[in-house]
Amino acid sequence: MLKLFLAEVKRSWIQFIRYPAEAIGGIFIISALFYGLFLGATYVAGPSIKLGDRLDSIIVGYMLWTLVTFVLFDIAGTLQNEAQTGTLEQLFISPFGAPRVFLTRAIANLMIQFILITTILLIIMSLTGRWLSFPPTLILPLIAVILGAYGLSFAIGSLALLLKRIQQLLGIFQFALLFLLTVPTETWTGSSKVLGLLLPMTTGAGLLRDVMARQQPLNLPQLGLAWLNGGIYFGLGLTLFRFAERETKRRGRLGGY
Amino acid sequence: MQVLEVQHLQKTYRSSRKHLTTAVRDVSFAIAQQEVLAFLGPNGAGKTTTIKMIAGLILPDRGEVKINGLNPHREAQALRSLGAVLEGNRNLYWRLTPIENLEYFGVLRGLSQKVARQRGRDLLERFELSHKRRAPVQTLSRGMQQKLAIAVALIHEPQLLLLDEPTLGLDVEATQTVKRLIREIASEGRAILLTTHQLDIAEELSDRVAIINQGAIVAEESTEELIRRFSGSAYVVELEQEIDRDRVSKIQNLGAIVNEKTILIRETEILYEVLHILQPLPLIRVEKEQANLTEVFLQLIQNQSESPC
Ligand SMILES: Nc1ncnc2c1ncn2[C@@H]1O[C@H](COP(=O)(O)OP(=O)(O)O)[C@@H](O)[C@H]1O
Ligand SMILES: [Mg+2]
Repeated sequence: MLKLFLAEVKRSWIQFIRYPAEAIGGIFIISALFYGLFLGATYVAGPSIKLGDRLDSIIVGYMLWTLVTFVLFDIAGTLQNEAQTGTLEQLFISPFGAPRVFLTRAIANLMIQFILITTILLIIMSLTGRWLSFPPTLILPLIAVILGAYGLSFAIGSLALLLKRIQQLLGIFQFALLFLLTVPTETWTGSSKVLGLLLPMTTGAGLLRDVMARQQPLNLPQLGLAWLNGGIYFGLGLTLFRFAERETKRRGRLGGY
Repeated sequence: MQVLEVQHLQKTYRSSRKHLTTAVRDVSFAIAQQEVLAFLGPNGAGKTTTIKMIAGLILPDRGEVKINGLNPHREAQALRSLGAVLEGNRNLYWRLTPIENLEYFGVLRGLSQKVARQRGRDLLERFELSHKRRAPVQTLSRGMQQKLAIAVALIHEPQLLLLDEPTLGLDVEATQTVKRLIREIASEGRAILLTTHQLDIAEELSDRVAIINQGAIVAEESTEELIRRFSGSAYVVELEQEIDRDRVSKIQNLGAIVNEKTILIRETEILYEVLHILQPLPLIRVEKEQANLTEVFLQLIQNQSESPC
């Protein structure tokens, strides 16, 4: 597993830097966005998740938004790209099995993206002399959110397998994502609170708001629920993907056609 | 020992609510080590569907695939003994170099990175691609890409290699190279299933041919035997000049057919009598009539369309 992960990191990285103009363009856009945020243009580049008004919170919110969007469309994007390149079938005849290959690849991609953004942030911080601070416990609810995001990513990937063209649906997903990450379920009470626990990723996002904006300590039972939520959505997504894989193989529509 | 066993494979596609296409009907065959089986058939005959069912990429409606005794649809281990180059695809990452492709796919097939790199180097050497080791695949010629795709399919040393139309779209020179490689790979002891709609490819490369038409296998036997079976026992004699009337009538009396400078002799016994009559006219050739796979193929396909199923 580890060797597959390392191979995926290497592959993604090479693909990213092989054409330097493209890579530099991508890095430039990310840098410009975050630099804009630093300069106080909070409305920069569309939606972000408000975790408070302090610069630290805005940046963390924006980073969360970027990473979760990245994860969400990763598997569907991989499917589409690989079908175009003509390598999709080769992934499906790996003895590791398609779900494991796609997950490993998605994690490798996320890691590269994460390192890239962090590096850019560090550079901006050293240039502006304005150092952000956020509690390290932030990582715990973040894991719950990312886990749920991978579940949804497998679900969207399943749709891509079954329907082939899902471009039109992506806008809707992005809208739903914004809702899920911003709906303040942590302030809900009674039966709607239970509903809030059932929505994907929202519990974790709420915890992030608690820690970041309200500067509360991490609520451990709530964190447990967030992880459980993430785990369940992850499992559901994976199950759906297995079903979609089998159904696509039944229709003979993997890859071409 | 059979590397691949395919039994009663059947696949029907539902392309719309009403429209059903039976792409593969009751297909069975086996391939042993060191054997090349050519799957020969016109476009749309069901070759790709069969290959993909073997690779676990299409789920059969009925029937079973066994690679070294394992079912690729249930046991992922079966895929360790399988390499495939699929039709019309490059099967490679365009942005990566040949060695990077070999390394990545090696790990994807379960090798360690170190072994994958070493084998990758050896394969590049053998496939005469070492000089392009550092060029992105995108910049290679179609022929080199196909060679590399075959190398990638061999990286984990599978016992079974599936090649779907391996020479499609290649120029003459690249076709020759790929043919040579396929022969080499088979002589190493691997079993190869190759599909083609080009008869000369099947004739040159295969030990056995399975002819598939409209989803069903209409003939399957050793390539030589198939050609022999369809070859008549007739002889053809060709002369340098037209034969004089006197000789023509004598020869016709024996029962041979004369057409300007050529004579067709159906009864082998009269061959020497005819030659005797022809003496001392200069001959160009005396030949046993040989069918080639093209004629066999046409004959079989024709027979089938005359008797609809
Ligand atoms: N996914 C699919 N859905 C519907 N029909 C298909 C599909 N794949 C192949 N077919 C049909 O099945 C038949 C066999 O196709 P194929 O196996 O690709 O043949 P070959 O490789 O011999 O050219 C053709 O009539 C083709 O149109
Ligand atoms: Mg085909």
